[in-house]
Amino acid sequence: MSERALNAVGQSIRRRDGQGHVTGKTVYVDDIKFRDMLHLKMVRSPVPHARIKGIDFSEAEKVPGFVRALTYKDVPKNIYTILTLIGVGPDEEPVLAEDTVRYKGEQIAAIIAESEGAALEAAGKVALDLEELPAVFDVEEALKPGAPILKDWGTNYFVYEGHHCRRVRYGDVEKGFAEADFIVEERYQTSPIEHAPTETTGCVVKPEPDGRYTVYTNTQAIFFSLDNSALILNIPFNKLHFVGGTVGGGFGGKVDVIVEPIAILASMKTGKPVRYMFMRDEEMQVSSTRGAWRMYYKDGVTKDGRIVARQITSYADAGAYNRHTPYAVTKHAANVAGPYDIPNVHIDAHCVYTNRQPGSAMRGFGVTPASFALEVQMDKIAETVGLDPWHVRFINAYRNGDIKPHRKVVEDATLIEAMQAAAQLVGHQLPEKFLQMHSDDREGGDHG
Amino acid sequence: MSVKNYYLPQSLPDALELLQQKQEDLLVMGGGTVAMPLINEGISSPEEVMGLRQVGLHYLRQSNGSLTIGATTTLTTLLRQSPIEILAEAASQTGAWSVRNMATVGGNFFVPPPAGDLATALLALDAQLTLAGPSGERVLPASEFYTGFLNTKLEPGELLKEITVAIPDGHTAFLKHGRKQANTPSIVTVAAYVKLEGQTVTTARIALNAVGPHPIRARRAESKLEGTQLEEVAIEKAGEEAAAECAPATDAIASEWYRRKMTKVFVRRALQQIAGKESA
Amino acid sequence: MASKIITFNLNGRETEVLAKPLTTLQSLLREQLGYMATKTGCRQGGCGSCTVLVNGEPMAACLLPVEDIAGSDVLTLEGLTPDIGLHPLQEAVFDNFATQCGYCTPGMLMVSKALLDQNPQPSRQEIVEALSGNVCRCTGYEPIIKAVQDAATRMNGHSGGES
Repeated sequence: MSERALNAVGQSIRRRDGQGHVTGKTVYVDDIKFRDMLHLKMVRSPVPHARIKGIDFSEAEKVPGFVRALTYKDVPKNIYTILTLIGVGPDEEPVLAEDTVRYKGEQIAAIIAESEGAALEAAGKVALDLEELPAVFDVEEALKPGAPILKDWGTNYFVYEGHHCRRVRYGDVEKGFAEADFIVEERYQTSPIEHAPTETTGCVVKPEPDGRYTVYTNTQAIFFSLDNSALILNIPFNKLHFVGGTVGGGFGGKVDVIVEPIAILASMKTGKPVRYMFMRDEEMQVSSTRGAWRMYYKDGVTKDGRIVARQITSYADAGAYNRHTPYAVTKHAANVAGPYDIPNVHIDAHCVYTNRQPGSAMRGFGVTPASFALEVQMDKIAETVGLDPWHVRFINAYRNGDIKPHRKVVEDATLIEAMQAAAQLVGHQLPEKFLQMHSDDREGGDHG
Repeated sequence: MSVKNYYLPQSLPDALELLQQKQEDLLVMGGGTVAMPLINEGISSPEEVMGLRQVGLHYLRQSNGSLTIGATTTLTTLLRQSPIEILAEAASQTGAWSVRNMATVGGNFFVPPPAGDLATALLALDAQLTLAGPSGERVLPASEFYTGFLNTKLEPGELLKEITVAIPDGHTAFLKHGRKQANTPSIVTVAAYVKLEGQTVTTARIALNAVGPHPIRARRAESKLEGTQLEEVAIEKAGEEAAAECAPATDAIASEWYRRKMTKVFVRRALQQIAGKESA
Repeated sequence: MASKIITFNLNGRETEVLAKPLTTLQSLLREQLGYMATKTGCRQGGCGSCTVLVNGEPMAACLLPVEDIAGSDVLTLEGLTPDIGLHPLQEAVFDNFATQCGYCTPGMLMVSKALLDQNPQPSRQEIVEALSGNVCRCTGYEPIIKAVQDAATRMNGHSGGES
């Protein structure tokens, strides 16, 4: 390395976007206005599960400023799934509901009007004829015989390569349980969480003279949004120009593709710029959440604290549609056994559909609920066996070279070092044998 | 969104006259912190709206041992100018600064739980409400004003003009339990007034918010205190009684179970605070 | 009722506008006048993103009918920003990394401006209480509090309260 003085490392460098932020000159989607811009508001399902028998727009059409309505019949490829881009299928979510709504707040019809107020008023005047259906809100209820079935393929679970769940099989848990001195079982449940970004989800679409559409959007996944929009609208990708990168808070809540396809379609149908921004209540009640999880742990533990078998059955509440949950479950299955070296592991992780608002991405989704359950479980093991919780974690911690239950060789273990540093930070004196341990050497410490 | 007329009367008679003309077609708002969100979100679509910000009821007047507060006095004005400590304290714990600059004392009587904490303190002070109508004025105790969730005894054509409280000659306490330190919806809010003669409680008033359809008086808890020495056992019993007689609901802020549990705790703490003041 | 002519002082300049009944100050600033620093987070008075100063007091522009502020002095972030350079509060926010997504920043700055005008040496608790109506969902509150303390020092040459 050259002797050149470092001009960034060790220096406090002002943020590149800071000048815009502190002067209010940063341009967010809602700051973009065009002459003759139209406004889109959504007619949403007032109930969690219903058959749509009819939609009457006649009163809405009378609202001054009403331009037109869009239903599923206007959407070229109405049924999609976001993760089709990474090979996940089948398509199962409608852009606009067809004959059935499966969660409260589901998009049924788009109203386009000359002002936001007119669009809102007209959307409120659309009369829906709905036949309410039994709904299911609990992941385990949804898997029982007789539960209302939400999917065309006849089950309320996502099918992973022919299986009803994402499975991990490593060693023989029954053998492990037989060898164990203690069996530690617990049920864990997390709640859905709304990201609540200060800037609501939205986009503004402008038709260009060259036949393309410029889409100003606060998506967190700009090419995901572009590609899915093109697939839904059945147009070449190069007809769309997405402009983004400035996001007023996302946290995973802006990676779904909800506003762009329908706003582009509205622009195509009217020839005018169209704005579709969620209002605060839509952001809170309709946009995806961090989905809720239920996890059952059964661990076999020896009296010196070694975990010799771990069996986990978990259920992700996807809500009514896939969004990112099938992927979250796979991620979950790879992580839920934890950063510990356990010889026998058995995991069944289910992606379950219910009549709730869809869950999707949020900061470590699939993994964070697992970490919560896992570390409470580790404490419970320590309590059951009668050992210090630090002890249980140090002796079970994985080392480089270990094989994780999904057959990945551990190459970047830092748990030992992280725990040593954490103990130091909180002023906890660790026994010398734990201070001698490190992630590169299994034999170097007392592994139990 | 389709508001046709917005009126900003410059006097109470003008406001009453307009109300008389328009009757129920007129949406009346004080500081707008409750009505405007509903209008912005399209939940309420009034065609005729009257704002009371300039109606001339922005004042605090002190006379003969009582304080009269004009109904459209902002919470900030009350916070800065109130000669009564508990009212300043309650105002400071209601909303955020920008909201207090807009929200009015009178308007707080029309805010549903888990907001509306200021009215709780006024209830504990046995505030009297002056209601102005087409045929003159009438006075009603604040404790009789509420009739249900979002329902009051305000008659069509009437406006809340002022709120009068006696300058308290006993001890008061105001405690609010929320999920944040400031600007938080309430889990439970407790306002208490206790007067002792010698060592004995002669008057006790306990008002609660967020544990019923509107701010309520905990009358059975109050009766557990009267005649006692405000000792630990009496305080404990009052807390238990308040928890038993309130009617909390489960919402996004807290569960019915937790609210009831915290009602007991915070009534106890409020009374302990008063007992501490008394012995100090 | 037809639209009304409303006159008020915006960022030091006499401003005359034609406003429809019950137009909010937020909507007027953003939709009619193009003053975009006043953001739209909730339109319920709950997030603080649209905070402006009316006669020196922070108010939620989303809840404020334009008619109500006739004759008043309104200050937005555009008015706080000097033609050249930055206000010390802006410098402090910039230097303390008190912005992340930036959406809450204008509201945070306006309420901080009112606080420091009225209380040049606020305590940490006073800063927290003043900012409590402003939501930062990136949860960068600590740097924001530090920035206000730093701004107090820059503006007054005093320490910004005990921490």
